[in-house]
Amino acid sequence: MNIKHYSKDDLDNILSVKGNSLYSDAFKRLLKNKASLTSLIILSLITLLSVFGPYFLQYDFYETDWNSIYLPPSIESGHYFGTDGNGRDLFVRILYGGRLSLSIGIIATLVSVIIGVTYGTIAGYFGGKLDTVMMRIVEILYAMPYLIFVIILMVVFGRNIYLLFLAIGAVEWLTMARIVRGQTISIKEKEFIEASKSLGQSSFLIIIKHIIPNLAGTIIVYITLMVPSVIILESFLSFLGLGVQEPLTSWGVLISEGSREMETAWWLLIFPGLFMVLTLASLNFIGDGLRDALDPKEY
Amino acid sequence: MIQLIIKRLAIAIPTLIIIIAFVFGLMRVAPGGPFTNERALPPEIEQKINEAYDLDKPLIQQFGIYLSKIAKGDLGPSYKYKDFTVNELILSGFPISLTLGISAIIISLLLGSLLGIIAAIKRNTIFDYAVMGISLIGICVPSFVLAPILSLFFGLYLGFLPISGWNGGNIYNLILPVVSLSLPQIAIISRMMRSSTIETLNSNFIRTARAKGIPKRRIITKHVIRSSILPIIDYLAPATAGLMTGSIIIEQIFGLPGIGRYFVVGALQRDYTLVSGVMILYASLLMFLILLSDILRAILDPRVKIK
Amino acid sequence: MQTILNVNDLSVNFDTSQGLIKAVDNISFSIKKGECLGIAGESGSGKTQTFFSITGILSDNGTATGIADFNDVDLLKLTEKELSKIRGKKIGFIFQDPMTSLTPHMNIGNQLIEVSMIHKKNTKNDALKKAKEVLDIVKLPRIENLLKKYPHELSGGMRQRVMIGISLMCDPLFIIADEPTTALDVTTQKEILKIFNDLKKYKDITIALISHDIGVISEVSDTILIMNEGRIIEKGNCKEVLTSPKHEYTKHLLSCVPEWMK
Ligand SMILES: Nc1ncnc2c1ncn2[C@@H]1O[C@H](COP(=O)(O)OP(=O)(O)OP(=O)(O)O)[C@@H](O)[C@H]1O
Ligand SMILES: [Mg+2]
Repeated sequence: MNIKHYSKDDLDNILSVKGNSLYSDAFKRLLKNKASLTSLIILSLITLLSVFGPYFLQYDFYETDWNSIYLPPSIESGHYFGTDGNGRDLFVRILYGGRLSLSIGIIATLVSVIIGVTYGTIAGYFGGKLDTVMMRIVEILYAMPYLIFVIILMVVFGRNIYLLFLAIGAVEWLTMARIVRGQTISIKEKEFIEASKSLGQSSFLIIIKHIIPNLAGTIIVYITLMVPSVIILESFLSFLGLGVQEPLTSWGVLISEGSREMETAWWLLIFPGLFMVLTLASLNFIGDGLRDALDPKEY
Repeated sequence: MIQLIIKRLAIAIPTLIIIIAFVFGLMRVAPGGPFTNERALPPEIEQKINEAYDLDKPLIQQFGIYLSKIAKGDLGPSYKYKDFTVNELILSGFPISLTLGISAIIISLLLGSLLGIIAAIKRNTIFDYAVMGISLIGICVPSFVLAPILSLFFGLYLGFLPISGWNGGNIYNLILPVVSLSLPQIAIISRMMRSSTIETLNSNFIRTARAKGIPKRRIITKHVIRSSILPIIDYLAPATAGLMTGSIIIEQIFGLPGIGRYFVVGALQRDYTLVSGVMILYASLLMFLILLSDILRAILDPRVKIK
Repeated sequence: MQTILNVNDLSVNFDTSQGLIKAVDNISFSIKKGECLGIAGESGSGKTQTFFSITGILSDNGTATGIADFNDVDLLKLTEKELSKIRGKKIGFIFQDPMTSLTPHMNIGNQLIEVSMIHKKNTKNDALKKAKEVLDIVKLPRIENLLKKYPHELSGGMRQRVMIGISLMCDPLFIIADEPTTALDVTTQKEILKIFNDLKKYKDITIALISHDIGVISEVSDTILIMNEGRIIEKGNCKEVLTSPKHEYTKHLLSCVPEWMK
């Protein structure tokens, strides 16, 4: 490969072409997309409610009230979504569950993004044998039955919420690594990377300063698509009794309880389910919208 | 072709051994696991485990014995059920899980691809929107939400279908579990198929086929599908993995005594040998499916060269 | 001589996210039976879309208006079904990009024979005989062997010859060749142009030869159209236009042709 030589001025010129306007344009396009905008609003509402809602409600999530078990949803009683078999207010429990489900979604996703981006950029940037070996490993891990693997981790190390973050993050990074590697390879070929190389910047600096910022769009899109799958994974485990434990609660726990009691109290299944489905759908729409916004097709 | 199979096996077998080593390692570090010393087990099981795994031998030898037993298809004694081996437990659940899994995978592949193709051909019509809408529900409503709702509606409210039990594989007992299991996969597959069909329809060789005056139906069957089905072939193994994990939940919800059920019970009771046995079985099945999809791809796509 | 294609006020519009794009703007021209019309113009001038619209193979977001009488039938008024009976049978199309224009998973033989099996209801054997005949015309060697090959096993030049062969399967009246030589080296280019000259001379096939390369066009064409930004800038006898261009744009185009080609 012939490496061209650039002066510092050339470099600045080349770099300044690609500015922040790309992302602010993309954000504007996203807001124009009705489905994404609605989703963004719904998601913010659910998040704000989960974080701040419990402070404003008259019930606590662990507060049992034997006089009001299995109350159907009603405005008058103040139990807007009804109560469960222990007389606990479902609305508050859903909001607390949301806190947990959302934070597991975000934290585990961050774990997997950090692993995936590091792994993917290294494999893509250095290429050659290293890349072959690293990607073979990813291929092998892909063949593992994920969830079963997470379950085994939970069985061996005991049910621990921090372990849950780690275990989920540890299985979700593969797709990220693959995508990031592919993108890194194509960015690596661009002029400004060659320019930086010819100026003698170290690989580490090039990755941090030039490659990762250019990956930001892709990473954001995949985060919005990964958070839902993490939320599902957590709920799945909790549903089986292998995830979050009482007295903590998550949407998965609530849905699991609800499905056991749906014959007597349908609301215990429907409302937590609704919150979860709305969140997942919103995230999916935002992800799709972001993808279109960052990569507008001409025709 | 045989070369391809050998190549793939040369990857698959070491992978399986690594997975088994991993499981073995986990069991060694697991508190109270079968390969540690401080176990609080009933004496009968304790004795069986000792016999089965020669626990006084050095570690590497233990692994060798473990591996050779697995190679012979022996997954060892159950850690919790003192009268059963893991093989017996898995075998008793196998017919149920297999019936469920195979029906679900066939339905998902056929229906998913068909819906995807039609949606792509009738792009931006009501049909397309309907399919995409339903598949969005399939993607956003997890099976553990969908299954209870379906059984609430069809089982309890309408009273059409039984909501739990195996009943010797009665078709009515199968409907709800199979539907809840396949719906998410149908959703994913139909979306994949739609976008790959649209991509193929826009490709140059389809324009050539049109310019040759080939009737629409023949263009779809002869020129489009064989290209646009390729991503689905690649998705075969991940789909199976999805169905496996899905079946764990579905068997739980519909009270079906399949492998997934044993897996959950095993996990909750820390039956290490049972859980690892199921993991190894699933991993082997997945390896087999990856091999199968590689072969299918080589048959369908003449460009695949045996590297 | 009889006019085979008469185009009047043809416009092609594309509906895009940036609004309506006018790719072809109100053009009129005609081709006489047995002659070769060259269409020249720089990239994006609307050459390809003109003929896509006439044969009804525009992308979904495109619409065509105007009249395109082919043997006194207005092609723009036909339904997709009626059109598909003309395409491949009376009109052959050779595409710009030989690398991607053949179906990757179908062998060459099947791609050839399906044309005459559909249009002429030929038996497989008759179709195979015809296929060998056309592959001979396009001067491909070792035909038996070739029929079983897949496109990826062929070079670009061979694929382009196969494309030409496909267009000849039903002995068409009219062939549209869209940049048939652009992707090829100079020697192959010469050979392919010779095939077109032979088709014109011995088979009396009418040809529309699209190219941004005036040199290529001057080898085969009797008449010429110069297009720019969807409009016809100049048209007439090929030699006359090339030796004494009236329009500035044509002069500019001509100045881009290397000396040795003139
Ligand atoms: N599907 C489409 N949607 C929108 N615009 C299109 C579409 N297809 C073509 N165009 C536009 O139509 C114009 C004419 O395109 P056309 O393919 O006819 O060019 P051309 O003269 O054949 O160029 P070339 O020599 O590069 O083949 C171009 O500006 C192109 O951008
Ligand atoms: Mg063109």
